[in-house]
Parts: sequence; structure tokens; C-alpha cells
Amino acid sequence: MKRATTEQLRTFFASLQTEFDVYVPVKLHDGTRVLGSLSEGPLALEGGKIPQKPTSVFFPQFDKVFVVDEQSKFQMAGPVAKPIMVVGFTAQDLDCLEFIDKFFSENYRDDIYFNKRDGSVVVGVSGRCGKDGEFMKIAGGKCDIELIYDGERFVVQAYTDKGRQLSERLVAPDSEAPAGLMDALSRESDALPTDDEDTIDKASDLIRAGKVPEDFWDDIASRCIACTSCNLACPTCTCFEVYDRKQNGKMVRQRIWDSCQLDGFMREASGHNPSGRQMQRTHRRIHHKLAADVERWGHKTCMVCGRCDDVCPTEIGMKSVCKMIVERFS
Amino acid sequence: MRRTLTTCPYCGTGCQFYLVTNGEGKLVGVEPSSNHVVSKGQLCVKGWNAFNFANHPDRLTVPLVRKNGNLVEASWDEALDLIATRLKEVQDAHGNDSVAFFSSAKTTNEENYVMMKLARAVFKTNNVDHCARLCHSSTVAGLAATFGSGAMTNSISCVEKADCILVTGSNTTEQHPLIGTRIINAVKGGAKLIVADNRKIRLANFADMHIRWENGTDVAFLNGLMHVIIKEGLADEEFIRTRTEGFDKLKEVVEEFTPERTAEICKITPVEVEKAARMFAGAERAMIIYSMGITQHTHGVDNVKSCANLAMLTGNVGKEGTGVNPLRGQNNVQGACDLGALPNVYSGYQKVTDDGVRAKFEKAWGVQDLPGNVGLTVTTAINAAADGTLKALYVMGENPMMSDPDQHHVRDALEKLDFLVVQDIFPTPTTKLADVVLPAACFAEKDGTFTSTERRVQRVRKACDPPGQARQDWEILADLARRMGYDGLTYSSPKEIMDEITRVTPIYGGMQYDRIDQVGLQWPCPNRDHPGTPVLHVGKFARGLGLFSPAEYRPSAELPDDEYPFVLSTGRCYFHFHTGTMTRRSRLLDREERFPYVEVHPDDAKRLNIHDRFPVMVSTRRGEVKALARVSDIVIPGHLFMTFHFEEGAANVLTNNALDPVAKIPEYKVCAAQIRGV
Repeated sequence: MKRATTEQLRTFFASLQTEFDVYVPVKLHDGTRVLGSLSEGPLALEGGKIPQKPTSVFFPQFDKVFVVDEQSKFQMAGPVAKPIMVVGFTAQDLDCLEFIDKFFSENYRDDIYFNKRDGSVVVGVSGRCGKDGEFMKIAGGKCDIELIYDGERFVVQAYTDKGRQLSERLVAPDSEAPAGLMDALSRESDALPTDDEDTIDKASDLIRAGKVPEDFWDDIASRCIACTSCNLACPTCTCFEVYDRKQNGKMVRQRIWDSCQLDGFMREASGHNPSGRQMQRTHRRIHHKLAADVERWGHKTCMVCGRCDDVCPTEIGMKSVCKMIVERFS
Repeated sequence: MRRTLTTCPYCGTGCQFYLVTNGEGKLVGVEPSSNHVVSKGQLCVKGWNAFNFANHPDRLTVPLVRKNGNLVEASWDEALDLIATRLKEVQDAHGNDSVAFFSSAKTTNEENYVMMKLARAVFKTNNVDHCARLCHSSTVAGLAATFGSGAMTNSISCVEKADCILVTGSNTTEQHPLIGTRIINAVKGGAKLIVADNRKIRLANFADMHIRWENGTDVAFLNGLMHVIIKEGLADEEFIRTRTEGFDKLKEVVEEFTPERTAEICKITPVEVEKAARMFAGAERAMIIYSMGITQHTHGVDNVKSCANLAMLTGNVGKEGTGVNPLRGQNNVQGACDLGALPNVYSGYQKVTDDGVRAKFEKAWGVQDLPGNVGLTVTTAINAAADGTLKALYVMGENPMMSDPDQHHVRDALEKLDFLVVQDIFPTPTTKLADVVLPAACFAEKDGTFTSTERRVQRVRKACDPPGQARQDWEILADLARRMGYDGLTYSSPKEIMDEITRVTPIYGGMQYDRIDQVGLQWPCPNRDHPGTPVLHVGKFARGLGLFSPAEYRPSAELPDDEYPFVLSTGRCYFHFHTGTMTRRSRLLDREERFPYVEVHPDDAKRLNIHDRFPVMVSTRRGEVKALARVSDIVIPGHLFMTFHFEEGAANVLTNNALDPVAKIPEYKVCAAQIRGV
């Protein structure tokens, strides 16, 4: 197994830009880390999860669905010009990606998503490169390559044939990982606390057992300002709104991230809304991921990435709410 | 993909985010800035959707000139030549002050500076104003009189340092969402919250006291608090003695505002007055936050002065977690004021009536005979157009047909003009009346700066090209100036304009672009070495001693009667912004609130047989509009509330063009109305 420095990885990613549309963690103008191109800023693999959901590379905030031109000719959004290579998924992000792959392919296959997802290369990041040097859980799969930081270099672990072929092209002389290093890192990963996951599990059980009363949701909802950030930052949120605009004689159908925290999300044409109260919408946000999806998919669809907690201005993200549920209703 | 760090175009909080541009140069999203001092990686729903209107097919993309009654496409040369010729003709025939200019709180500081310079240096008139007249002109006048500086005294971060917060006339979680959430978090952290507002706004859920006073009785309420504070020995005597003047006069005026009399005027209880007074005065650090509920009255300046009086009486000025904090409603309404888009001051609030100031600007701009008379305001300019004394109007990025009170009056006034120019990003009811319409770039298509409510000057950066032939506002104005024979408005970039601003504007002296590259600075910032000023009036007021400026209670201009038995108040909702030009063209925002609506209390609705979501007619002495009833106890019985976002149900058909005598701000918050089902 190779070990590579950040600079060697940067060179490696740069060399792949002719064949891939490469997204890597970069540090922007004011220090914000995003998934962007190498031309946007220095490579920033360290620092923990990317604030924006990484699944946005395949499911962006705004996308075209199709265009109908003046001659009524229909043109569907097609495959991307180059396959996507994206670096920076955490173990939790990879769980999210696995779920939305399933979500977008079951029953109705979302071609717009798979136009980007098919043929893509996904690279995970883990090890001692979390926020303030914290250890990030090793995924151990679910991606083509995982870069596991040992404090000095990134161990390059390939899990798929595509990942192995690509990582062979990484130039990192005299960098073989010493014997026992991966075992040590794996032990460190396995020893990570699971408090947040345990809290979410317990809250899920309490919700499913009907132990969380309505007035609790009223209390939480009173703090919701419907900023929609929880949905827009969540890697497993997949809802979008579809709308048409006539532009330069063409009718363009487009889609944009939607939010179940908005009144219009469920409103009927009559104006009646079965989820017309904020309490119902707040309840839905949590219940959907921790109870309804357990029934539908056999597992929760919150992977405990923590983004909704980071972006919520009134501290009612998933972890915060679940903590309150466990404290009050256990 | 490309990301461009810029400042939000909606409220005055000053959140920053990255605009995401795709390979075709089109905006496709927003990503919050993780490290911004105010937004901290968070945004409200309008911020998240701020990219979505820019590509809307309605954008103005080519100059339009009215020919044979119709607006038809024209070249930039034709349109600008016509404007130069017609404005000159009007001035030659009727004098310099027969022309007025409306600048814009949506445009950059640099563009506001260019607009006011154009009006003064080229057209030799002080008839330049902007929509701050309609929102915070009372603040500028009231706080300038009491403190010597008409702006938010403290910083947004101070909210979390306050022990008690009095929120009055501000629906903060809807209008300044990321400030509103800080108030919620402060309460969760132990701060006391008093909400004095007769609407049951979200913050009321968290308040220790929610005081639902009668609209328009603000002065009485604040005087009542001060009466109790003085009577019970809760005033900060040391502060009063060392930092203020005029206390005896205040004491005399508030003497009459016993809890009982105050309660009678405000239709609350004496206990509420006493309890609120004790809560506010008893806090170590108490802060006042207000907005349009205070300012938009015929006694708006008195309201603001009374807030200032209360803060001084309790020693809550000049330190963190305190202060008088007007929240500015637009992205750059603070900056438009700072840069002199006002009829009485140049940039930095330097008075046009001061000979020395005029001499300074004449030298800096290379002109002579700058006018020394105070010009027309937005509101008095409309009145002057109606009475025929104003002949031509140049409107940049404003929509008076929707935003000004008494729409029929505004229409009559604009139709009477000999010549109307409107420069905007979308067609509006105002562009429909124009003789020339000029297509402008929106916030995402230009460089410059905005100044947030906390006086923070921040960068705005170009993320994509304007559509069609649309141009940046400053470029258009500079081109017009050249046609008028003046080269002093020729700049290579907004940076060059800011460099000039820093030379002639003491409070902006240290605001060079390299200094505000990542994090903005708060004025006053007089030189390159100055770190900016998070808290004003530390140790000394801008005017030296703070001046207690007591006010007597004056009722609103138009009160309910038998014919019009309701009090109608107007404002904004969370999802839309002002006249809706941008938010109604943003898909999710438009979907949230699609129709004009009027809030009516369930008791009134029942009595009048009005049903939720059913159409009603709301009428006043000025006209009537159709809206959908929203039956809710958010309003108190006898009160109605409407937003002014909807052209098809324009609340400003109804509002009263009664003005504060000093600030000339209209009384949007109180007029007499009736409602009936249709």
C-alpha cells in the first residue's frame, strides 16, 4: 500500500483532470472548504467533513431536466462530458451516498442523477485528518479509493478495480506503508466513541415506540425559522422542486433542491395543507429519517454526519433534537 | 464550477456566501461561507435562494425608449443621449431643482456615491434620496439628534452578550433571520426578552413578556417605562450625570406617564408597564432592537428618540451587549445613507448646508457652485411631482409605484412628470410609466461593497455577466455624466470609486478594498491603521454628551372610526422582499407565498363572516384591494396586517401618505381600514 503526501496527491489529482471532472476539498478565499476544482484554491484534505453535502456533486442544488425548443424538439439532459472524480467523502458520507444511490435507482430511476453518478470515481478520506486533528472513522469500503491519514501521509487503500488501476498511477516514491500501520489505524478507528450514533438509535426507538408527545414537537418547531438549511445540507435529503421557465424561446424544465420544512412542499392546489403547521413539518423531518425510513428501507437514513446541526441557527439539528428526546423520554 | 464570495442582496444582516457559477457562466447555487463573522456557515431561506432570480427570463436586457406611447428597444447611445438632452431641457426651462434622483439601497456603496455625485456635481441639485426615507429616516434623524450618529450603536454579536433584550417593532426572525435566531439563542442562554409588538411574532414564543400594545402608542409606552424607572430609582445616575444632558426635561415630560395613564393609552395593563421597566432597568446589560414598527409613523423620530432616551436613562450605551440597535431592512440601506444618497448630506453625513463642506467637495470633484439648499426627499419629491413643481425624475433600482404610500397618488405624480427614467433589473409597475428604461446588472453581476446594519462594509463580487446589454449601475451613470460634459465620474473600476470615497469620507477613510478583502470593517474607520468600530459611543457620544430628547405622545394621523373601524398595518413576510421583484421570481420563495393576503383576528373574522383563505376586500380612504383572508390570532382584534410584495394586491394602494414632520417618513404602520368578504 502506498502512502502519499498532500502534494503528491495534488499532483495525482491534477494529472487526472484530462480524463475526469475532478472535485477535491479546496480552501476558498475566506478559508471555507468546499468540493471544487484544484484551480479554486489549495487542496484541503485535512479539516474533517466538507460543510456542504458532498453528494451535491451528483445531485446539485440546481439542474436542468430537459429543454423543448421552438420547433417542439425535446432534449433531455444528457450524460456529463467527462466522468466525475470526487475526493473527500467521510465514512458517514459514503453511507449517505450508498443510500441515495439506492433511493434514486429504485422504482423510478433518476437519470439526471445517474448521468453524473455512473462512471464516477469516489475517494474517501479518513484517519487523523478530522477537525482539529480528530480521528475520522475509516470506511473500509463503499468507495473506489480511501485516503487514510496517519498523521504524516495518506495511506492509499483501493477497494475496486477502478480504484486499484488509478492508484497505481499515483507517484509516491519510497512510500510503502510500514507493516502494522493499517492495523493500528483500524484499531484506532474501531475505538472511536459512538455516543452520537447511540443517541440517534435510542431516539429512533423512542419515536417508533410512540414515546415522544406532540407538545415536544411544538416546542422544537417554535424554534424553526424555516431556513431550510437542515435539508439543504443533508446528504440523504433528495427532494427537489420541478418548474418550467421559458427562456429565449425555449421551454426549460429545471429542478432545485426543495425542503420539507416549507409550507409549499405539501400544500394542495386548494391551499389546504395536510402538513400546514410547522410542528408537523419539524416532526416529519426527524420522523422520516428515524422511523418511516426504518420501515421502508430497513435502516435509518440519518447517517449522523452532523451537518444539520452545524447549519441550524437555532440548534435543532438531528443530534440536538435526539439528545433532547433521549434526555426527556427515556 | 466557480465560486465567488459575495454579500447577500436581501436584508441588512450582511451574511456572506459563495455564488456557484457553472461552466456556461450561469448561476447554479449558493454555498454558505463557513467562516464569516455574522453568518457562520448559516443562511436563511432567502439567502439559500439568492441565485435563483438572476437568470429569470423577465430580466431587462436592452434599453427601452417610449415612442408613440410604447416602450421600444433602443441602443444605449440613443437612450442615454435622450436622457441627457431631456434632463438638460427640463433644467433649462424650470431650474436645477426641477429634476430629482432616486438612488437605491439595493445597489453598491460605490454606485450610491456615483449617483449622489451625479446629482450634485453634474445636475447641481440636492434632490437625491432613496428608500431609507421609507424605512429608517426616523432613525437617522432621531439618533443623530440624541447620540450624534444615526446608526446601529452595537454589533450583531452583542445580542449574545445582553442580559435583557427589548425587541419592539421588529419581527426579527422573519426580517433579519440570523439576528432573530441569535435572540432565541440568547434567551436559551438565560437572557430576558421583552417583545413589545402587537403581532404574535415568533419571538413572542420565547419572551418573558409579550406586550401587545395598540399600534402607534410607542412614545407613551416608552415614556411609561421611563416614568417607572425614575420613580423607582432604577436609573443609572452616574451615566446620566457624566454622559448626558437634558435629563431634567425628560423627567418633566415622563412625569405624566404614570403606569395607569400609559396603560390606558396603549391598551395594556399598568402591571405590564411596571414589570417591563423593572426587567429592562434591572439588567446589567440591556439592549434595544427595533425596526419599522418604531420608525414608520408620523411620530417615527419621536419613537426613535424615546428609545435613545431609555437607553441613556439606564446607562445602556457605549458597551457590549447594550445599545440602540435599529435593524436596517435592505442589504445596503445603511451604505446608501453613508454615501450621501440623501438630500441633506454628502457621503459620511457631511452637511450640504455647510459652506466648508461644499468647498471641500467642490475641490475634490473639480466643480463649482454646489447647491447649498436641502433637496427633496423621496416622499416630498412625489408630492412635488403631483403638484407640478418637479418635472423629471431618474429612478435607479427603486419601485415607488409599489413601495410608496397611496399608490394612486404616486401614479398621478409620476404621470404628471415630463420625463421619467427608470434603471432596474426587472420590469416593474414603475418601469411601465417610464419614458426610458435602462437594464442594470444585479448584485451577482457586479463588484463593489455593501454596508450591513452593523455598519460593516463588505465586498460584493461579480460571479457572472449581466444578461444581454445590461450594465452595472455606476457605468451607466458615468456614461450619462460624460454626455453632460463632466469627466469626473469616469472610473476604471469600483475600487477606484472606493479610493475616492475614502479620501472625502472620514468615516470610510480606512475602507480600502485590500483591508476588507475577507472580513469587512465597521465604520467609523478613519484611516488605514484603524481597526473599525464595533461599538459606538464608548466613553463619549459622537455629539459629545448624549441629549435626552423627550417626546409627548401624539396619536397616529388616521385612527379607526365607524366607517373604517380597523387599524391596518403593513410590512414584509419572511419569504418575500419588498416589492417582490426578486423573490417572486425565485421559485421556492414565490411558491411559499403566492397571493396577497391580509391577517385578520378570528373574532373579527367570525363577526364579519370571513373565512380563512377566502377572498376579501380591504379598503381605506385611498382605495381598495383584494386579498385572501388569513384568519389568525397573530393580530389582535381590530387590527389587520398586509404585506406590500404583491402588485395584484398592492397594500400601498391603501396606506396613508401622512409624513413625520422631521424625517418625512410615511405612516405605513397605522391607517384606518375596513374589510369585507367578496
